[in-house]
Amino acid sequence: MKFLRMTLVAALRALRRNKMRSALTILGIVIGVAAVITTVGLGQGASEAVQSQIRSLGTNLLVVVPGTRTRGGAHSGWGGASTLSVMDARALEREATGIRAVSYIRRGSAQVLYGNSNWRTTIQATTPSYLDVSDSAMAQGDFFDERDMKNGARVAVLGGTLVGQLFEVGEDPIGAVLRIKEASFRVIGVLESKGGSSFGSDRDDLLLVPFTTGERRILGATLPGVVEQIIVSARTETSAHEASLEIEDILRQRHRIRPDQENDFTVHSQEEIANTMGSVTRILSSVLMGVASISLLVGGIGIMNILLVSVIERTREIGIRMAVGAKGSHILVQFLVEAMILSMIGGIIGIILGLVGTQVIAHFAEIPFVFSPGAIVGAVLFSGSVGIFFGFYPARKASNLDPIASLRYE
Amino acid sequence: MTPLIETHGLVKEFARGDIRVLALRGISVSIERGEFVAIVGKSGSGKSTFMNILGCLDRPSEGKFVLEGQDVARLSKDERAELRGQKIGFVFQAFNLIPRTSAQENVELPLIYSGASRAEQARRARESLERLGLGGRTEHHPSQLSGGEQQRVAIARALVNHPQLLLADEPTGNLDTRTSLEIMKILMQLNRAEGLTVILVTHEPEIAAFADRVLTFKDGEIVSDEMGSSGEGVLPASLLGEKEGKDS
Repeated sequence: MKFLRMTLVAALRALRRNKMRSALTILGIVIGVAAVITTVGLGQGASEAVQSQIRSLGTNLLVVVPGTRTRGGAHSGWGGASTLSVMDARALEREATGIRAVSYIRRGSAQVLYGNSNWRTTIQATTPSYLDVSDSAMAQGDFFDERDMKNGARVAVLGGTLVGQLFEVGEDPIGAVLRIKEASFRVIGVLESKGGSSFGSDRDDLLLVPFTTGERRILGATLPGVVEQIIVSARTETSAHEASLEIEDILRQRHRIRPDQENDFTVHSQEEIANTMGSVTRILSSVLMGVASISLLVGGIGIMNILLVSVIERTREIGIRMAVGAKGSHILVQFLVEAMILSMIGGIIGIILGLVGTQVIAHFAEIPFVFSPGAIVGAVLFSGSVGIFFGFYPARKASNLDPIASLRYE
Repeated sequence: MTPLIETHGLVKEFARGDIRVLALRGISVSIERGEFVAIVGKSGSGKSTFMNILGCLDRPSEGKFVLEGQDVARLSKDERAELRGQKIGFVFQAFNLIPRTSAQENVELPLIYSGASRAEQARRARESLERLGLGGRTEHHPSQLSGGEQQRVAIARALVNHPQLLLADEPTGNLDTRTSLEIMKILMQLNRAEGLTVILVTHEPEIAAFADRVLTFKDGEIVSDEMGSSGEGVLPASLLGEKEGKDS
């Protein structure tokens, strides 16, 4: 213990004698550790952001779209072919037991006019159950109901972005009359904001109308009863998988698909989306982490390089220490301690810089800042072992020097 | 009482490629406690090799080297390091102080490895420096000290662990005449007043003249072992005069 303290003092003295060199060596480690901390932090923040966005899509959500998953063939994905209908949705509602609620949508885009303002937005024709199924909430007013649906009422519910585009600040949109494709619509409600999605689309830039109204007045009824997506809410999160099998059964039956034929629709589950996005973020963050680790490795090589130079430069000092009673192990420990001090100081500064960097980048990239004690402990241990690993070879070289030759070394 | 140092038929062989060089060819000598011995000889005579063995820095190829009754040839590297730290003080021609390190810290060095407490290290190092008249120089770095002062720091370092034996390898080789005399007086003083055994390697006869006993090496053998003037009238007056004349 006493000896360790002495060694620590001796090592600090030695490092102080070459301030500039020590500082540059530390800088290598600082950059490496900061890079690791930042990439780990940002990776975790990004996956946290993805997860929370998926949660915000609605719990237990299943989305049925026409067409099959493309695997080389010329199948189209989301809403390509018109194989799903209102009747399919009703059948699901009626027959599937694992389902809590069903909604369906058709989308198009149109110019919305109000007074002197106008804005092109997504028109989404849907059912009253959409509010519940999509896990949305009203910020103001009400959503349309079954009666509006039956009557084809010309009522609209707006997303936050659209409100901002059409109305003055402080103006109450409820009761306002908008014009869309020569028809007038009365605003009855405003949706609570959902925020942007991870792929850059604005999920608040839309206008919702009752399905019947939308079909008739805005989107055109060339193919009446055709829907783009059927959105289903499973009873529980665990039953989502069974529900998706049930949906598949019912729809195959209705579409008269023979056992040897492929589905003409696809059921996407929330879990599947979460897994896909999760694995994308995981791959991205491990790639970044790999790159960051390389810089830490380079920092470690820097330590080894400096210590090798230092051993040669201090050959005579090593000889003197041996002459006055230092054993090989004393010399070994001294150089190892020097390496560890360099890497630990670098590690600590790197952690601080890395945390600050993560916070700054997280702020500008609008992803949550995840504080991870594991990454910090890992970085400290890792930088310490970088010191030991890269310090060992030079230290061993120093401890094996011949005192007689070292004392004569010029 | 056993002699401090006893060697029997010391042989040291170096291999230079395929050629084997005998640096020592059977040295048998005995040195008592409190002796002041000078080892002289030309370069290549084996005197440095002999010193390295006496200093436990090197091991003989053959023969026995007994220090205070202990056969050093049989000790491991670490045991020899410990022995050096406890029983032997070194003074070198090139002073061998650690650069950019204060005199105090340089003198503390042997104590670090012998496990003295921090406070004791500081106290003993200061005492040792004061004893050599360097009380006011403790915080100076080697580059801020004159050659003589540096060699005195080196002597202070050699003495800080109260060794049995002081080995001085050409201690005056890098110093001017007056400073050389000063250093030699210090070594003599240590030998006379405190009974410290001093072994000195030199090629200058006037420095060797300070010693009680002079061993002359030639081709790895001792060719003469003479008892000197035993310290009285240290140097021939003519020589002393001549040197001082040269100096001024």
